[in-house]
Amino acid sequence: MKKPIILLLAAVVILPMVVRPAIATEIWIFAIFGLGLNLLLGYTGLLSFGQSTFFGSAAYVAGWLLKQYGINAFLALGIGVGVGAASAALVGYLCVQRSGLYFIMLTFALNQLFYFIAYQWTSVTGGEDGMPGVPRPALAGIDFTNPLVYYALVAVLFLASLWIMKRIVESPLGRILQAIRENPVRAEAVGYDVPRFKLLAFVIGGAFSGLAGVLYAMLFGIVPLEAIGFVFSGNVLFATLIGGSGSLYGPVIGSFVFIWLSESVSTLWARWPLLLGVAFVVVVMFFRGGVVEAWTRFWSWRSSKQKN
Amino acid sequence: MALLETKELTKAFGALTAVNAVSLDVEAGSLHSIIGPNGAGKTTLFNLLTGTFPPTSGRILLDGRDITGTPAARVAHLGLARSYQRTTVFPAFSLLDNVWVAAFATGKSWRGLIWRKTGRYPEVGERARQALADVGLLAKADVPAREISHGEQRQLELAIALAAGPRVLLLDEPAAGLSPDETRKMVSLVRTLKGRYTIVLIEHKIDIIMSVSDRISVMYFGSLIAEGTPEEIQRNAEVRRAYLGGVAA
Repeated sequence: MKKPIILLLAAVVILPMVVRPAIATEIWIFAIFGLGLNLLLGYTGLLSFGQSTFFGSAAYVAGWLLKQYGINAFLALGIGVGVGAASAALVGYLCVQRSGLYFIMLTFALNQLFYFIAYQWTSVTGGEDGMPGVPRPALAGIDFTNPLVYYALVAVLFLASLWIMKRIVESPLGRILQAIRENPVRAEAVGYDVPRFKLLAFVIGGAFSGLAGVLYAMLFGIVPLEAIGFVFSGNVLFATLIGGSGSLYGPVIGSFVFIWLSESVSTLWARWPLLLGVAFVVVVMFFRGGVVEAWTRFWSWRSSKQKN
Repeated sequence: MALLETKELTKAFGALTAVNAVSLDVEAGSLHSIIGPNGAGKTTLFNLLTGTFPPTSGRILLDGRDITGTPAARVAHLGLARSYQRTTVFPAFSLLDNVWVAAFATGKSWRGLIWRKTGRYPEVGERARQALADVGLLAKADVPAREISHGEQRQLELAIALAAGPRVLLLDEPAAGLSPDETRKMVSLVRTLKGRYTIVLIEHKIDIIMSVSDRISVMYFGSLIAEGTPEEIQRNAEVRRAYLGGVAA
């Protein structure tokens, strides 16, 4: 087995012993969310500022079905993936018609549209109060209300998601998306329908976001209104950029840094987002590839020093 | 028989008619050059042929089939590949990946598109390597495109077009910005491709054109003003006045 996989498995085992299981669980959920965004951001070169649209939509729909009809947990996850993909297909179809700043503003505007639907539709979503009472149904005799058991479920789903994403980025599709990032004009000229491939990236990213959304709703037993808000879209973007959008593992590391900072430092210091701001500035100024790049640069610097 | 034909092809941008009623016959297997001063409409003609934008009027026929208005991504699948005047490659990719992307696009099938590993398409990989070998860049297959010289980028530009395995190769000033030495290399490269592909060549450098072309069409302010063999073009008084005047005299 390769080094990153061993490190990841170790992290999955050790994490719940170091931090509260709820935080550990949230880290992997956020990592799944980040993986979906990074297919757009890192691989296709599309800055989507509206990923919470898919996260939140899936959380509301699956959460509501769980609450009202007591559906099976795996069915809920499947529905979440479907809702995430479908909402991304809708939003993506409109957004891929434009590029650059207009593209970013469209993802943001459509995010706001979904947010206000959730805000107004209080009979279902609970508006500002959120949608409480999302259960974590037992399955095949396994009781997911135990935080550690639920953690194990999320960790397994995260590892599966990571593996699937790894296969996708190493497939022809992954290379075509990167070609579109590198040079959309040439990608079109050699025979790829660029808007359609961008849409496909949206749909896959949306499916990952949807899975994360349902897991999030089941983790906290509530779908808060923020889950579909633009701050959430910004958070996953920050986390991915800090971790490193250029690599597969970047969003995983970013999610770890982001959630850990927000959950542990925020109790000590109310102005913790300031730290995040500093981290963001450092990344943009010096390490465009985020933590992953800082890490590889550190190691190549050390090995070159040892040679001398 | 003409493999690629245009009939009264016209493109107007507002009041400017960039391409004006151009009728062109490119014989299968020939090297057909298009010359003309800057702004004559040569690159616009290429953009029309490859579907970058649709013509205002007129028709484009490939092997007798009307392909007018076919979008760029589809045109590539019909067997038309182009290179660009300004280098248009994938900078972060290795040279092999640059041509691999083009080879895959027009490959036999896209099965396994989102799941199979890129290394498991042997015929695509073979075609990509062949394209690099054809332009003499196989030794640098693993080097990122942004790290090679301008001259080599021009060769890569050509390799991407070759990797598609096209029926018609449209080359837009392949020697643009090259030193005399690099230009000689590029000319001999184009010569090796002659006969293997039907080639339409845009070029500024008259000596190149005269030495490699089977036929030459001369464009001037959007219109074709002459067509013929290199000898005929050199003798043509109108062409000398419009274009060759100061250059070849």
